[in-house]
Amino acid sequence: MSKLMSSLYGWVDERLGLEELVKFAKKKTVPQHQHSFWYYWGGISLFFFIVQSLTGLLLLVYYRPGPDAYESVRQITYEIQFGWLIRSAHAWSANLMVAAVFIHMFSVYFMKAYRYPREFGWWTGMVLLVLCLLFGFSGYLLPMDELSYFATKVGLEIPAALPAVGPWIANLFRGGLEVSEQTVQRFFALHVVLLPMLFIPFLFIHLWLVQKHGNATIPSEMEKPEYLRRSIPFFPNFLMKDLALWLIALNVMSLLASIFPWEIGEPADALKPAPTGIHPEWYYMSAFQMLKVLGNVFPGALGEGLGITIFTLGLILWFFIPLYDGKHENGVKARNATYFGLLALFILIATTAWGYMVL
Amino acid sequence: MNYPVWDVPVIGSGWVIGIIAIYHTLISQFAVGGGLYLVLVEQKALREGRADWFPRLKQHSKFFLIVTGVFGAVSGVGIWFAIGLANPESTSTLIHNFVFGWAMEWVFFIVELTAAAVYYYTWDRIPRKLHVQVGWLYAIASFCTLVIINGILTFMLTPGDAWIEVAGTGNESSRFWEAFFNPTYFPSLFLRILICISLAGVWALVSYSRIDEHTDKETKAELITWSSKWLIPAFVLMPFFFVWYLFSIPEVNRGLLQLGISTIGSGAFTQVTRISLVMVMTTATIVGVVYFFARKSPQDFSFSHGVAVLMLAFLANASAEYVREMMRKPYSIARHMYSNGIRQASVAKINQDGYLTKSHWTRPATGSETSPDVVLAKGEAMFRGQCLACHTATGYRAINKYLKGREYASIKMLVTTLHEYAEDSPYRKYMPQLAGKEDEIAALVDYLDYSVNKEKSRIAQLMPTHKQEVVELK
Repeated sequence: MSKLMSSLYGWVDERLGLEELVKFAKKKTVPQHQHSFWYYWGGISLFFFIVQSLTGLLLLVYYRPGPDAYESVRQITYEIQFGWLIRSAHAWSANLMVAAVFIHMFSVYFMKAYRYPREFGWWTGMVLLVLCLLFGFSGYLLPMDELSYFATKVGLEIPAALPAVGPWIANLFRGGLEVSEQTVQRFFALHVVLLPMLFIPFLFIHLWLVQKHGNATIPSEMEKPEYLRRSIPFFPNFLMKDLALWLIALNVMSLLASIFPWEIGEPADALKPAPTGIHPEWYYMSAFQMLKVLGNVFPGALGEGLGITIFTLGLILWFFIPLYDGKHENGVKARNATYFGLLALFILIATTAWGYMVL
Repeated sequence: MNYPVWDVPVIGSGWVIGIIAIYHTLISQFAVGGGLYLVLVEQKALREGRADWFPRLKQHSKFFLIVTGVFGAVSGVGIWFAIGLANPESTSTLIHNFVFGWAMEWVFFIVELTAAAVYYYTWDRIPRKLHVQVGWLYAIASFCTLVIINGILTFMLTPGDAWIEVAGTGNESSRFWEAFFNPTYFPSLFLRILICISLAGVWALVSYSRIDEHTDKETKAELITWSSKWLIPAFVLMPFFFVWYLFSIPEVNRGLLQLGISTIGSGAFTQVTRISLVMVMTTATIVGVVYFFARKSPQDFSFSHGVAVLMLAFLANASAEYVREMMRKPYSIARHMYSNGIRQASVAKINQDGYLTKSHWTRPATGSETSPDVVLAKGEAMFRGQCLACHTATGYRAINKYLKGREYASIKMLVTTLHEYAEDSPYRKYMPQLAGKEDEIAALVDYLDYSVNKEKSRIAQLMPTHKQEVVELK
């Protein structure tokens, strides 16, 4: 049997050059230190993306955008065999993916893995984050039940608050002045065509950059003399651990999907009053709450303008952090960048929690 | 209603037992499997002359002593407190029936705890052979505790015909052995032995993950590899014993699971089936994770890897215990005592004489028999006595959530169905028969209606104070 396998491997290897790949993977190493755990979150995000693609493809078989949207999701959930499982897995892995992406981003940030020569890794990562959030936003409306309808309506207040172009963007998303069947159609196109078309190339660039530059060593490890730094081979050691974590991630997702299956609410009805405590998905809660608070402090256009300005400024700073703290020096800039990261993390967590408390 | 009711908000009293018991079994089953592990690993080290293993084994036995002797023992006592408070009637029945069994178990506990301490403190102080013998003493004593508690635990699901014949006669302990070696005794014992063996491996992985891979690379790799093998018996044999177990339980209980499985596709399957799927899934994940983490690069096995495996084991264990408990529905002792402590045989008498007749736990209320306050107090006592064992007001299995949207008539119909308990009633599979006189049942309906519908409830319309308050406020 093993003889047959090795001759088969030899046959394929001769034509595709697998051995070179293995050699490359074996040569590649991953730093090993007490914070190595954070290296796995990019992989976990990737895993959830794969789950998203597969389950999304299956949902695509039965989902019908437009006036039938709600009915088709109802059928998927209650009538089609294992439809509930696929839908629950899709929805749960979406949430888990956003969470994993956030953890990945902050771990990259605090490990200072955006520094030279990994700037493009950081920037492509930021693009992927934005696309990921848009995936979440556009996917949330598709069932067109009461909750998703009103949450989308509320969620669109965030881009609508942008000065000058805000209303135009919101209308473009909505396909009119109100969230309607038109919006579902647009969100569907966005969710299954446009966003994947953008996401996949960026993902490949991002992964290629990771392969090219390898995992960054954290500054405290860099200070150690070479012989004290430890690392493990990417193949098979790191990959095996990656696979084990993927298994755990799969287990967590299946557990959530089977114990807390995603429900479907009442069909959306624009004429009905919005249910109390309506809010966007948790990953938009921070932005939503900040806008709400600033709107209360400075009523009218001033509050909205101020909110968006602060927000945009913060995002720009965040995006360009490799240009500010790009050198491998532990000086003032490095410290400032860390403080800025801690502040961002604190604001994100605090405003999210605040948002849920005042619901 | 001989005992007061323990009202635990949000999670319910059942989950207090559940949380402590899941935590306890994760450790107590390690205490049983780990005993065997310690002697076998020490014997192996002796046989192969592995002097480098001994310091590690000593460390592991210290870890073992602390985890089992402190956390295991304390949580075991915690279970006693919790079951006594949450379900005093069932606890009382078990004590009356198995007092001799528990006496035996406690003898073994004392031997077990003493042997564990002696085993640790005599490392390198007594001859190796004698030390191994102390280890064997521990392993046998701890195995005996499993042999005994397994009889009592399985009895609750399958008490057996012989015991049921004498149940409620006051002569129950005459069928001690029949009750003890009940129909699920052996399949459950073998299942638990497998769990104990695999937990010995899992905890050993956690313990050895602390070995520094740079100073003790070889030893760490060998011990991690050897310990990971302890998961193999469970992985291979568990499905067979599980099937044996399933076919030993009454068809009606198995039906609950089968019904669940046949409706997985449509997503309408029961919570029991969902959780049993989690159990199977997580068990398979543990094997995969151990393969990737421990077998593929044992020297890199870190503490966080160990904790990850342990957490998975915790999940698998929690789901297994949950399923076992749920399959007993609607009883706490099958065919004899309902989960709310009412004996099945007493229902007819309670229906005639009343449930609250001997109760000291009704909230004092003044007024005539039909005054809203008295009715609500009576209804509340009924709710606390017969519903609170499984439901909470607003948390786990919340009555307010289940009855949301139902009006008085609809609630009355549901309660009447539970009271009449017809042969073909679908509720028979999950819920006990509601016992009480007509006025008590009616009071419960009003209480539930009031809890869910407040001012819109039937009883609220009859409250003079309510109307007066509204006028005063205006």
